[in-house]
Amino acid sequence: MIEVRGVTKSYGTTVALKDVTFSVQRNEILGFLGPNGAGKSTAMKIITTYLAPDSGTVTVDGIDVTKDPLAVRTRIGYLPEIAPLYADMRVLDYLEFVAKARGLIGVKLHERLEWVYDATSVRDVLYKDVSELSKGYRQRVGLAQALVHDPDVLILDEPTSGLDPRQIIGIRNLIRSLSKTKTIIFSSHILAEISAVTDRIAIIHEGRIVADGLAHELREGARKVNRTIVELARADGDAGPALRAIPGVSAVDRMNHGTGAYLVSSPLERDVRPEINDLARSRGWVLLELHTETPTLEEAFIELTGKEASA
Amino acid sequence: MIRDIGVIFRREMGAYFNSPIAYIFIIVFLVLTSGFYVNGFFLAGTADMRDFFDSLPLFLIFFIPALTMRLWAEEQRMGTFELLMTLPMRPLAIVLGKYLASLAFFGIALASTLTIPLTLAWIGDPDLGAILCGYIGAFLLGGLYLAIGICVSGFFRDQIAAFILTLLACFFFFLAGTQFVAALLDGWVPGFGTFLQEGFGLTAHFEGIQRGVLGLNNIIFFVLFSAVFITLNTLSLEGRKY
Repeated sequence: MIEVRGVTKSYGTTVALKDVTFSVQRNEILGFLGPNGAGKSTAMKIITTYLAPDSGTVTVDGIDVTKDPLAVRTRIGYLPEIAPLYADMRVLDYLEFVAKARGLIGVKLHERLEWVYDATSVRDVLYKDVSELSKGYRQRVGLAQALVHDPDVLILDEPTSGLDPRQIIGIRNLIRSLSKTKTIIFSSHILAEISAVTDRIAIIHEGRIVADGLAHELREGARKVNRTIVELARADGDAGPALRAIPGVSAVDRMNHGTGAYLVSSPLERDVRPEINDLARSRGWVLLELHTETPTLEEAFIELTGKEASA
Repeated sequence: MIRDIGVIFRREMGAYFNSPIAYIFIIVFLVLTSGFYVNGFFLAGTADMRDFFDSLPLFLIFFIPALTMRLWAEEQRMGTFELLMTLPMRPLAIVLGKYLASLAFFGIALASTLTIPLTLAWIGDPDLGAILCGYIGAFLLGGLYLAIGICVSGFFRDQIAAFILTLLACFFFFLAGTQFVAALLDGWVPGFGTFLQEGFGLTAHFEGIQRGVLGLNNIIFFVLFSAVFITLNTLSLEGRKY
């Protein structure tokens, strides 16, 4: 379990985190979403004890990161944004080095190494020098070093960057399966990446947490107006004015000029679909499509980060 | 703690010998030190290693920074610094592991010059006790330069900057100990040159050991200053977080 309370961190005059508070329970995956430079990596560096917060407290399994960093480090597996690999070592030697540095010995050492070779699919490159690896393999070896000691807490900074789609699916499945017994935070600046793995999302922007919740809550939260999409056939001329005349409709925009599609906006609580249906019937138009648009996470993200930027 | 030092030590030793650095360093070190020595040896015609040890403090000022400049800068460049700093190890264990590996490597380079005393013993009758003391002194001297080097390297991400500043710092310890500089400084600020010479100058201590005076004060000088720089390096790692 990770608890971050009121954490602020500055680099010189640049404020990287402002009063950040969130927590992640055991068996939970928190997707940390934000544009590049938003503060995701800084927050992760503080949790992993690489950096100390200027103010606020961070505890991992109840242990304060500034009071007993060594105890925190034994519980954490960490993949930084750039996979921390020694170019002069073979993959096999590198992973063994990390495992030993993490305190593994004997049979346990051997077992964990064997497990991690398969879990991250690096078995094919064990005898290669790290400097010869492709980006995808580098990332997987980086993930392997974070997993080798079977940590309770996993902090993964952009774990899927540089991987091809097949590898991404593999890593996603791995992260999901690990979440059954672990506390996981993983970051990305790509929304689809996060929503594919977890429902719990925290959006960070300019050093602040601007949203923290389940994906569907964030979607709903972003919705300001009801948007109904209508596509009509055999509507003589412009159906716009007639749609605009429906009580409650605040705006009508013509979509994909030339076709009979319109975007009808109305207040949130007002569903105008029945009226549109009635209108079409009375005028003899054919309704090709009529549905309320579901707001996307992307919209929620832009709404939240855009609002903060202008504030 | 000991186990942690061992893990880091083995990885560092591997780093020396997995790259061409180790071999180039040992060959160049051997060629230059022996070359200069043998040149004078045939002129003087005495079976001792005086000239060899006399030239070491100056030679090592250029060799040691080349060895230490990458110790932390390379970790920063590869991103492995973040890995090391989040391992469940005390910073002191990591610093000591790195330092002892560099010391062991230097020991190997130094041991490769043992062909000189072996040759001397074969063709003449050298004072082996004095030569042994000379090697002990050289090892301690290298230990001090390496400690300065690892400490300076911790402050700089750039290897060239680390090289030059280590060179200057080692040069300070060397110059402060010379009679010439001490007399010169005393001329400007009476007592200052002597103070530097006695407090920081390594020449007198090194020459003492080399002459066969293993004296505790000479050994303490090198060990103490090495410990100071290792501690400084450790503290800079701990302070970096804030």
